[in-house]
Amino acid sequence: MKKMMKKALCLITGLALLTGMLTGCGSDKPTLKVYSWGEYIDTSLLRDFEKEYNCKVIYETFDSNESMYTKIQSGEAYDVLVPSDYMIERLIKEDGLQAIDWSLIPNADGLDEAVMGEEFDPDNTYSVPFFYGTVGILYDTTVVDEADLEDGWEILRNEKYAGDIYMYDSERDSFMIALKALGYSMNTTNKDEIDEAYQWLIEQRDTMNPVYAGDDVIDNMISGNKAMAVVYSGDAAYIMSENEDLEYYEPEEGTNIWQDAMVITSDCTEVELAHAYINFMLDAEHAYANTVAVGYTSPVVEARTKAAEEDFAGNSAYLPDVEGENDEVFRYQEQEIKEYFAELWTKVKAAN
Amino acid sequence: MKHFVKLIRPYMVWAVVMILVPLLLIVLYSVTTGGNDLINIQFTLENFKKMTEPIYVAVFVKSFQLGLLSVGICLFLGYILAYLITKFSERVQSLLVLLVTIPMWINTLLRTYAWICLLSDNGIINAILGLFGLEPVTMMYTDFAVVIGLVSDLLPFMVIPIHTSLCKIDHSLHEAAMDLGANRFQTFWRVTFKLSIPGVLNGIIMTFLLSISTFVIPKLLGGGQYMLIGNLIENQFISVGDWNFGSAISVILAFIILIAITSMKRIDKDEIEEE
Repeated sequence: MKKMMKKALCLITGLALLTGMLTGCGSDKPTLKVYSWGEYIDTSLLRDFEKEYNCKVIYETFDSNESMYTKIQSGEAYDVLVPSDYMIERLIKEDGLQAIDWSLIPNADGLDEAVMGEEFDPDNTYSVPFFYGTVGILYDTTVVDEADLEDGWEILRNEKYAGDIYMYDSERDSFMIALKALGYSMNTTNKDEIDEAYQWLIEQRDTMNPVYAGDDVIDNMISGNKAMAVVYSGDAAYIMSENEDLEYYEPEEGTNIWQDAMVITSDCTEVELAHAYINFMLDAEHAYANTVAVGYTSPVVEARTKAAEEDFAGNSAYLPDVEGENDEVFRYQEQEIKEYFAELWTKVKAAN
Repeated sequence: MKHFVKLIRPYMVWAVVMILVPLLLIVLYSVTTGGNDLINIQFTLENFKKMTEPIYVAVFVKSFQLGLLSVGICLFLGYILAYLITKFSERVQSLLVLLVTIPMWINTLLRTYAWICLLSDNGIINAILGLFGLEPVTMMYTDFAVVIGLVSDLLPFMVIPIHTSLCKIDHSLHEAAMDLGANRFQTFWRVTFKLSIPGVLNGIIMTFLLSISTFVIPKLLGGGQYMLIGNLIENQFISVGDWNFGSAISVILAFIILIAITSMKRIDKDEIEEE
């Protein structure tokens, strides 16, 4: 009898450990799992949405498209994602998304036609624009000589500013800069061109000693720590609204026109709720709250106009120039090219 | 006691599922290619060969240099601190040890962010320097920032084992040494320090393990271009998605750590045999 008791005890302890791991959810409300960029939303909207639709939103954030992709690959399931252009194209090609039912998104009428139908999803079958913008150089007008800006991206290798720049810790954007500076397409698959861009970045590392920053660039530029930083236009708009000495500049050699869009994964079980969420975010008032909170440019015309006139008046980064003739949108890369870039980027970062 | 042995069984199951299986998976990943799914794999040693490229070797060398430097500073500061703590009465001692561990109650991430506030170009330290009319010093994104972050993070792991072994030393041994004509320095070096060596070695192993595999501190205080082994592994898993190469680095790191620990244990043994 005693022996059995002990066995039972062992079993219970084991089970308790297991159940402790497996449970955690248990409410009967429908749950929506959203996976988006960090600091990309006015979080009070999530509470409003939960109240309005009597549901629970689990909102998680990532800091790069690649890390989002890796997490999804390792089996984590989400309902709504907010990745960028080329990653959306990748997810479409790999059957990771389901088509949007536009009839469930009446607020789509408010979207700017100009940001619809980009190459990565020509008919917007899978993606609903959330924010868009460019990549450019944010510079401190009290330190940087405006004449130097004529060098375009090469200013990032101007030794006058050695030790005084932030690069962006992103593989594709860093190679975009090098490729554009050399006059190539940022979607090139020519390995000679890629190698040249790699050399450009290695030389920049040697001479300029740049810091490859992530989101910490925001606080650092607000406090004016360095003369220049490569940033997304939306971050630039936000930083400029906090520090008046800064200006935003897009080199004529061309830049990355990016778009982050809401998509519904093929794993999504709460399809209707997911559509409701997307529709909720496109509501002019909500889109306005988001764009003001984070500084990124909204594709919802009414929200964008209001923000541009009131909150970001005179802020050149809020309405970035997306008409440059050398500008491009990132495209999906074949696995082989992607790995080639990834390895070179690891080497750039590891070089000492 | 014997009838409690069975209680260990849930833990055994836990250890196999949560430690052994993942470890075997890492080894498997490290000798294969074929991406992250284990369906179509091929065995290869390419991943290990890639590690011999100068850029990656340099990452290893740098990690070890920084790791050893941090361990050295921790040992120096930690020993002095532990030694001073033993000079107090027992009640005060337990309070002081508690104080040493207090920083560990706070998340590493927060403590590291606090260092950013202190060290950044417009941070608190530079503001204070400015008050005295001194030029601001760039401290962020340098070796200095990373080492200071590591040392402050790891110090408790050095102090506690040393303090424990210092406490165990019988005070009459000191008296005996003094009676036999040893001066204070000789007493310290040949009695106190010698008897505290097990604690010192434990401290070194703990801090070395943690410093060599860290990635949060170098990432935040060193910037994205600051690449140590931990960052290289993180990078392979999180952003590059090359789990095979990432696993190979992890295996090499584990192997090096294993060698380091075994040789440390050997020193420990030799010391004891000498007596």
